[in-house]
Amino acid sequence: MQPPSLPDAVAPERSRYVDSLGIRLQVHEWGDPRATPILLTHGMFDHSRGFDLLAPRLAEKLRVVAFDARGHGDSDWAESYVWDLDVADVVNVLRSIGEPALLLGHSKGGGQVVDAAIAFPADVLAVVNLDGFGPPPEGFDHPQRTEMLEKTLPERFAAYLDTRRTAATNRAWRARPSFDDLVARRGQQNPRLTGDWLRYFVFHAARKDPEGWRWKVDPHAAGGWGPWRPDWIDDTYSKLKVPLLALIGSVQDNWGPLPEPLLAERLKGVRSLERATVEDAGHFIHMEQPKRTSDLVLDYANRHAARRRSPRRQKQ
Amino acid sequence: MKGALQTEFLPHGRVALALHTLQHGPGPRLLLLHPLRGSSAEWGEATPAWPGEVFALDFSGHGESDWLPGRGYAPEVYVAEADMAIARLESPRALYLAGAGIGAYVALLLAGARADRIRATLLLPGAGLRGGGAHPGEVDAQADADWRHEVSAAARLPGEPSPDPLVRRCTRDVRPRYYVEAFARGAGRLLIADLTDPPCWLTVVRQQTRTQPVAADPREAFRALADC
Repeated sequence: MQPPSLPDAVAPERSRYVDSLGIRLQVHEWGDPRATPILLTHGMFDHSRGFDLLAPRLAEKLRVVAFDARGHGDSDWAESYVWDLDVADVVNVLRSIGEPALLLGHSKGGGQVVDAAIAFPADVLAVVNLDGFGPPPEGFDHPQRTEMLEKTLPERFAAYLDTRRTAATNRAWRARPSFDDLVARRGQQNPRLTGDWLRYFVFHAARKDPEGWRWKVDPHAAGGWGPWRPDWIDDTYSKLKVPLLALIGSVQDNWGPLPEPLLAERLKGVRSLERATVEDAGHFIHMEQPKRTSDLVLDYANRHAARRRSPRRQKQ
Repeated sequence: MKGALQTEFLPHGRVALALHTLQHGPGPRLLLLHPLRGSSAEWGEATPAWPGEVFALDFSGHGESDWLPGRGYAPEVYVAEADMAIARLESPRALYLAGAGIGAYVALLLAGARADRIRATLLLPGAGLRGGGAHPGEVDAQADADWRHEVSAAARLPGEPSPDPLVRRCTRDVRPRYYVEAFARGAGRLLIADLTDPPCWLTVVRQQTRTQPVAADPREAFRALADC
């Protein structure tokens, strides 16, 4: 099957790998290598080619770097997924760029670039978070939630252990006979994307083998286990020392945005905060409105990239 | 491993987990889970009084087990690994569990999740017992800084002998009250070694189960376990 075509989408101009803790990460770049760098980090179940509409617009002014998170796209699978190693991957790709950069993350990637900037502020010029401010206290609404909440924690953990036992010797998605089947499944998550865009995105999210089409993403990638509460995010943002641009979409969907009072509360500790709402976009802001997103990000980058040219920073 | 009668390797994804048989016998089966940065070799003479078969598992990144691809070490991953041993040791005979240090925390979670398989569980002191506290704000600043150093240095490290330096992640995992309570409530019989300075999560387990602590001396503690 030929790659589907999509108007305005630009495939990466350069590709390379970064080794992070034994995981080979697929890294892509667009734009002038001498320009101010920006590192793009995608969300759960996505991949870096989901930036093929945003990246070329940003690349008019910036060196754009994006990577497939571990277990996603064309990067290696891990055997277990924990938040701080995803953050370590962001840091390792950032360091492969060789100079301080802007960080942009969507959804889960948004939370992770914030944590990377907290851990290594000297490597980060500023952060752009695209609707990655975590779930509400009761968690995101999803079809299995009610059923899930009827079980005790140990019962749910036992179900997780059962899946690990089953996957211990055979870990793969069910092969689907047709590419369109995967497109229809992904379309449920992205009801506002055009058919062309969905097909383009899914083509890079899946591969064909003799039995059919399967997702590239590791089935374990979303299934980590451990204690975690949404209110733990509250302490996070007050530790952020670099400027933050917080973007949300105007359209409510399953994964965001948070109710305004809750979002304002989470962000109240940020020292240098700008916020904007992108019209006619839901959670997948950069995919639904790449031009509006890139305009906002380029304007922000233009003001914050100047930091790296200041005499003080040159001395470092 | 020296002292093992037999060692077999259990596949868990791309990891081969070393399960050692330390003792044969007709009685109930006992599975041992070692402390952080330790291995099954540590058990040595600690369990001579056990009346049945004794097995010991090396967690990933430790002893003769593989390092975890991607290095995402966490207590819950160790539980999944120990659960592979539980599956392997499935038999009509009763199964007992004992863990030291991080192995104790892993044993608690496993006892809660697989309560139908495990008759009684002994929690002993050792490295990794404490974890990172009950809330992210309690994570020790030094442990946090050490971890950042490990993670940023590790990309450049070649393979080292066991244990994997990155298993230190488990000195900062958060063990909150709501979580520990749920697993302690679901577990069968729990025996807790008497410690002068128990970590927060172990105090929660004690309150939840209202059990009297057993002697910290391993020989006595295992005798108490065998009586359950």
